[in-house]
Amino acid sequence: MTEVRFYGDRPPGIEEATLPGRLIVIEGTDGVGRSTQVALLKEWLEDRGYAVLDTGLVRSELAGPGIKRAKQGHTLDPITLNLFYATDFWDRMERQIIPALRAGMVALVDRYIFSLIARATVRGVSREWMEHLYGFALVPDRTVYLEIDFDHLLPRVLSRGFDYWESGQDFLRENDVFRSFEKYQSELLPEYLRLARDHHFEVVDARRGIGEVFEVLRAKVAEAVKGMEVDRLATPDPPVEIREDSASAN
Amino acid sequence: MNPFERSDLPGKLFIVEGIDGSGKSTQLDLLHKWLVGRGYLVLFSEWNSSPIVKGTTKRGKKRKLLSPMSFSLIHAADFASRIHAQIIPALQAGAIVLADRYVYTAFARDAVRGVNRDWLRRVYSFAPRPTISFYFDVPLDEAIRRILEGRPALKYYEAGLDMGLDDDPEESFRIYQGLIRAEYAALVDEFGLERMDATENLIRQQQRMRELVEQHLDGVMRVEGRDLHDALAKAGLRGRYLAGRSQLMEVGP
Repeated sequence: MTEVRFYGDRPPGIEEATLPGRLIVIEGTDGVGRSTQVALLKEWLEDRGYAVLDTGLVRSELAGPGIKRAKQGHTLDPITLNLFYATDFWDRMERQIIPALRAGMVALVDRYIFSLIARATVRGVSREWMEHLYGFALVPDRTVYLEIDFDHLLPRVLSRGFDYWESGQDFLRENDVFRSFEKYQSELLPEYLRLARDHHFEVVDARRGIGEVFEVLRAKVAEAVKGMEVDRLATPDPPVEIREDSASAN
Repeated sequence: MNPFERSDLPGKLFIVEGIDGSGKSTQLDLLHKWLVGRGYLVLFSEWNSSPIVKGTTKRGKKRKLLSPMSFSLIHAADFASRIHAQIIPALQAGAIVLADRYVYTAFARDAVRGVNRDWLRRVYSFAPRPTISFYFDVPLDEAIRRILEGRPALKYYEAGLDMGLDDDPEESFRIYQGLIRAEYAALVDEFGLERMDATENLIRQQQRMRELVEQHLDGVMRVEGRDLHDALAKAGLRGRYLAGRSQLMEVGP
């Protein structure tokens, strides 16, 4: 059972005290390997009979297209952008995540409110305002943070190329993308760690290889889904064998 | 609590609030023309008009995707976009800003939809404090009569049909507007809004507005030679290609 608790006041539209599904959040900076791990977890859970919803930022029907369009231009202040993201977040909360939890599914969420708070905070938006804004977010059953340092992150990002927003080029005054990325991550990573501490994330060392990280993550997720109806955890899991080079694409 | 973080800007901000059919837009329009005619630099901003956000609001309304919270959030995004791109820069420059609806519209409408009042005030704390907030108070029956006369079909969200108050759009609209009016009544006290009797003679309402506004116009930015009509007349042109000109340069009646 997911106990229905919110960070702030209960928003209108959700009445239940508990929901039969599980809300599992994977957090981490861009390029750390979140999407890869979410894809692996989804397959693993489905193989074991769980119904899985996977969702992530900017995937709402309501605000997804609008945010993508708005980010094409350069006239977006951080407050507007964050309220836009909050709209996207709530639309997915209400029309994807909560219905999935009601139906007894595992909701696997690739980045929750924490990435949004960390990214906004380093851009000068008040942390307090952000945490207050997201008072309507459901407290997850489990939040796993993929922790990494800059030196280990760099090769993973290099392999796929730098992104304008993910390098903080919208607000940092750096001439080249590499410097900008370095500066951005050096501000962002401590912000994630602060959130991890304040909100009691399960921290997983993501410096290790994909297979090793998955094994740790899988154990944590297995714990979180324990007691669900489709619990078929009787069969032991096979050891993970994933070739690093082929699975490094994020 | 004080929801306004900024009240340090040199410009002047006058805003109007009231339920549909209160006549607030008419009065603001008259004020706008008067100020422009006197040579003031005036920016006009209306609810739900951000070029970046309004497409999403429209999509939400059309597909009926909006719940109380997403309705609230998308309107906050629209407002934030106009505050940062139009209103704050104009106030920093020392201009006059006129806003048709402001934070109080969100406080009233969203509270009626069950959104937490304290949450709303803090979310909107980025809004600069208005110089004067006019609240056009109109009896419910009078407002309904005015609206239904000029508008044959009520829209889904406009009539509050998303709230399941009544299946009949007109009845739903009546209940919805009544609830909003009750919220406004509380806001007048909480924020010291300037109450205007919207049943009074239109000219007298406008006179009162101008008297109150005039007290705040000392040292406010004026523009010389900005009268486009004069310029066009002088040059013997009609201004056929001027449709996309900036609102800041908008000319008088």
